[in-house]
Amino acid sequence: MREKLDALLREGLAKIEAASSEAELQDVKAFLLGKQSPLTALMKELPKVDVALRPEMGRMVNEVKTKLTAQMDERRNDLKMKASEVAEDFDITVPGTMPPSGGLHPITQMCYDLNDAFRSMGFEIFEEPEITSELYGFDRLNFPPDHPARESMDTYWLAGHDQGHGGDRLCLRPHLTGGSVRYLQTHKPPYRFVYPGRVYRNETTDARHERAFFQYEALVVDKDFTFTAGKVMIKSILSKVFGRDVPVRMRAGFFPFVEPGFEIDMGCLVCGGKGCSVCKHVGWIEIMPGGTPHPNVLRAAGLDPDEYTGFYVNIGLDRLVMMRYGVDDIRLFHGGDLRFLEQFR
Amino acid sequence: MKVSMQWLRDYVDLPADMDLTRLSYDLTMSTVEVEGAEDLGKSFDNMVIGVVEKIEPHPNADKLRICKTDIGGEIKDIVCGGTNLYEGMKVAVAKPGAFCRWHGEGEPVEIKETKLRGVPSFGMICASSEIGLFDLFPFTDEGTVVDLSAFDAPAGTPIADALDLNDVILEIDNKSMTNRPDLWGHYGIARELAALYELPLKPFTPFDRATVTGEAVTAVVEDTERCPRCMCAQIEGLSVKPAPFWMQSRIWRVGMRPINALVDVTNYVMLATGQPSHAYDCDRIHGPITVRRARDGETLTLLNDKALSLTSDDLVIADAEGPVGLAGIMGGAKDSILPSTHSVKLEIANFAARGIRRTALKYDNRTEASSRYEKGIDPERCQQALDLSMQLFRELYPDMQVTALVDIYPKALAPAQIDVSLTWLERRLGKRIPNEDIRRKMELMGYTITFDGDNMHVVCPTWRSTGDVSIKADIMEEVARMYGYENFEPTPITTSFTGAINQLEVDIDRKIREYLAFRCGMQEIFSYPWMEEQYVNAVLQSTDGILTLATPPSPAERFVRSSLLPNLCKAVVKNERYYTDFAIFEGTQIFKDEGYTSPYDPAEKLPLQRKNIAGAFASAAKDVTPLFRKAKGVIEMMPRYTHMEGFTLCQKEKPVWADNVVWLNICLGDDIIGNLALLSKKASMGCGIKNLNVMLFELDVDALKPFRSRTNTFTHLPEYPMTDYDISVLCDGAVKCVDMVQTIMASHNPLLRGVAFVDEYRGKQIPAGKKSVTLRLTIGSDEKTLTSEEIEQCAAATIKKLVKRFEVELRSR
Repeated sequence: MREKLDALLREGLAKIEAASSEAELQDVKAFLLGKQSPLTALMKELPKVDVALRPEMGRMVNEVKTKLTAQMDERRNDLKMKASEVAEDFDITVPGTMPPSGGLHPITQMCYDLNDAFRSMGFEIFEEPEITSELYGFDRLNFPPDHPARESMDTYWLAGHDQGHGGDRLCLRPHLTGGSVRYLQTHKPPYRFVYPGRVYRNETTDARHERAFFQYEALVVDKDFTFTAGKVMIKSILSKVFGRDVPVRMRAGFFPFVEPGFEIDMGCLVCGGKGCSVCKHVGWIEIMPGGTPHPNVLRAAGLDPDEYTGFYVNIGLDRLVMMRYGVDDIRLFHGGDLRFLEQFR
Repeated sequence: MKVSMQWLRDYVDLPADMDLTRLSYDLTMSTVEVEGAEDLGKSFDNMVIGVVEKIEPHPNADKLRICKTDIGGEIKDIVCGGTNLYEGMKVAVAKPGAFCRWHGEGEPVEIKETKLRGVPSFGMICASSEIGLFDLFPFTDEGTVVDLSAFDAPAGTPIADALDLNDVILEIDNKSMTNRPDLWGHYGIARELAALYELPLKPFTPFDRATVTGEAVTAVVEDTERCPRCMCAQIEGLSVKPAPFWMQSRIWRVGMRPINALVDVTNYVMLATGQPSHAYDCDRIHGPITVRRARDGETLTLLNDKALSLTSDDLVIADAEGPVGLAGIMGGAKDSILPSTHSVKLEIANFAARGIRRTALKYDNRTEASSRYEKGIDPERCQQALDLSMQLFRELYPDMQVTALVDIYPKALAPAQIDVSLTWLERRLGKRIPNEDIRRKMELMGYTITFDGDNMHVVCPTWRSTGDVSIKADIMEEVARMYGYENFEPTPITTSFTGAINQLEVDIDRKIREYLAFRCGMQEIFSYPWMEEQYVNAVLQSTDGILTLATPPSPAERFVRSSLLPNLCKAVVKNERYYTDFAIFEGTQIFKDEGYTSPYDPAEKLPLQRKNIAGAFASAAKDVTPLFRKAKGVIEMMPRYTHMEGFTLCQKEKPVWADNVVWLNICLGDDIIGNLALLSKKASMGCGIKNLNVMLFELDVDALKPFRSRTNTFTHLPEYPMTDYDISVLCDGAVKCVDMVQTIMASHNPLLRGVAFVDEYRGKQIPAGKKSVTLRLTIGSDEKTLTSEEIEQCAAATIKKLVKRFEVELRSR
């Protein structure tokens, strides 16, 4: 009898282990503990057993039954945990539902990236009117009276406001720098601010030229600020925006509102400086002009150029975005074409 | 500007093994941007001088011949159709591997050994146009091959060697040297290189004025303001002939076309020194040349046959009969050098930049000369140009005589003098540079430097004294760039902390954009600041108060943006081709022809400019309701989500572009600060929108009142369950949702915690003129769990109110 019980237990445990679903386990239960099961048969035989051995036998039979039941419960639990809520042919390759599908313009994205970087370095963000006067567009920026940019061939003057001089002569701003003077006039030094915005030039357009494009100016004015500190500033900003160490070089350049002036290049991120078609095989990409604010500009803002100096850069946002994404036609930015804009979400 | 390395070497002894990459880099870093370097000799690889030994007919072609050509130690058969071939002729042979342009057109093609009409040909005997030399060897008859018999080079000599074309041409970005009038010639660049590499710069051979044989007055200057200096030499014993090949070749390789010796000398001098000059045929000029203002109405026909009607603002060169040239810009047709010219008046003058630019712009006639004068040339440079011109004329015409020379230069240019404090210089550079280093470099560039304690006195060379260098910041730049910008160590940025950046008006703008883009699923677009007439008419229906551009991109686009809506509608039209359901927005300034004031300066009169944000929701669905609700939801939720003072929606003034029923004003207090409405059918058709319904909103961002911080408040979570209880009622179609909600809430039933609109339905099962409205009541108590009876009672009371007030009929609960 004992051997029979042991064999029954071993066989039972093996069957329970082999059951791969709750239904199978149900069959195993019926087989092991049901009315026709060997265990039930054994229990039926108990009365025939010698009285002295009967309690011991009963205990052993119950023990086997308890063990099998416990094992089955455990197995059932296991199977439950492993089972799924859905049918096995549920298609997990069906795409997800789209969240709200909007997005910011790629230029705005870049602008916000720069804002965040500059703000982390204590810069304010400034905005000014897009229609400006000759006074702030040219006069106060050290543009000579006969500078070609003052002619209508470059600047969008307003009809009926295109004659006269200074504060009466109005145009769509040809650059942002005039706004810097506005800031300097209305704030107290030292200054540290950035100034994103759109500017307008009367040009023939093609894939690389636009009539409306985005600039991003940053200006520091302080008592001592060397151009090498400016280089550190630019490098820090670009490295943050592009998420990696960006080499920066400064070379001779000329702009009316700075002295000395620089062209600032960043190492080409496409080829890592080895030379490729994007950087015209020089390894560097001209990304912004910059320099020390011209004494006349500081004077226009009421500052003593002997006391104050600073650093100014003008980042071409369009070009930076074009490089970030490999966009090859600047006109797409103003096209309002969703097929283009949707790519930058 | 193109610069020939070979030419530069005339003036500065650059090492023979000078690394061009290094030179380009150094020039770029310290002076001007070198955009490229073209190895001229390389384009003549595999081309040699060939001598045609024997010409035989081609067996299969009348027009082709077989030339037995010596290409240096070996005779090769070359099939050629040249019409000017003769035995003994020196020709340009492109051997297999060379690149030529077929008939001077298209991309260069590699020459291969081939058979022409069955006869093998080793390469090609070239026409000048096929090897890029048409300007040096022009021809008129198609089929003329270039005849190089005049060159002293044996067969087999590489073409580049034979024609002395082993040169590298640097391409310099003009934009990077607009401020440097001294660099617009080879001598200027050479001077810069001499300073960079600390090499001596070679002077020009001075012209000996004692050799002038006569004293005739050849020139008069009436306007010394506009013409600070004028030299005029009368030169005799000349003739019109081609310039020597070396001169033509140099002129050609930097981008100009050789013409004849007399004209070429003036061009060569300009390319060398940057100083333009002009030669007038003495026989065609009556009396001395006069530099004067034109008289109003005077006419002048230029060399390029452009006929001008002059004004008194134009400076001209005139003779006794009238204008013969537009000063500093272009000579007139009358004084042209003709085949018969044997004596010239050579004008080497300095003109003020401003007037030249004005006139050149006015007549749209910018030239090599005018673009140089525009930069502001130093009058002292006339002397260099005279020296070089005379040297060249003497070389080309050994028998020439200068029979007269005047030099009108009443007021010599004063060199700029600048005092610079060395302490200031050190502070600005972040580094002390030894005095002697500064002096050495600066003197190489022509400056005179004297030190006196902390002061450095700088006398600028005249070629930097025309406005280019005038203040101490300029001197700092000169010192820094010659020391090398890369040789300054980075310095850390120092700052003093005064407070956190807190700019509400900047932040609200960004919050709204991010809300629209990320929460509301709208795509940001940008449009131009001008509006197209069609959309202005369709949407705004009037051009009153709209500013216009003096020179618009196109006549139809003259209107300056007074509303964001016309351009948004244009974008809707554009995207309708590809999308049936989309939402876009734009945020930027709008402008109005009013206001005219400025917070920055009383002299400034700026028009009204406001920052706006506007959006469009477009859908091809017929039912406008979902579109309306979507747009309305975006506006309703905006104040809460972007943390600003809430606004209300009401009907006060219908926007002109709006549908007659579906429109709302966005109000803050009593002020209308925006609109939300369906674009009317009329406006929609005017825009050319085909199948879309468009909900538009516009909002004056400057009028918004952002909160200084979040204003959310905490409410305890309910302790007892709240029950949602939906009721649907049938009511008159005109009953407003807002009235129903207000009526329900006016009951002040303490158990009724809220009511929300779920939806409304018209259509099948609903009688005409009626609608079914479903509302969701929230019923609950703070004190206990309500029984179903209590809930039913509350709902029944609510329904009763609706029945009484609006005569609704309960459909379901």
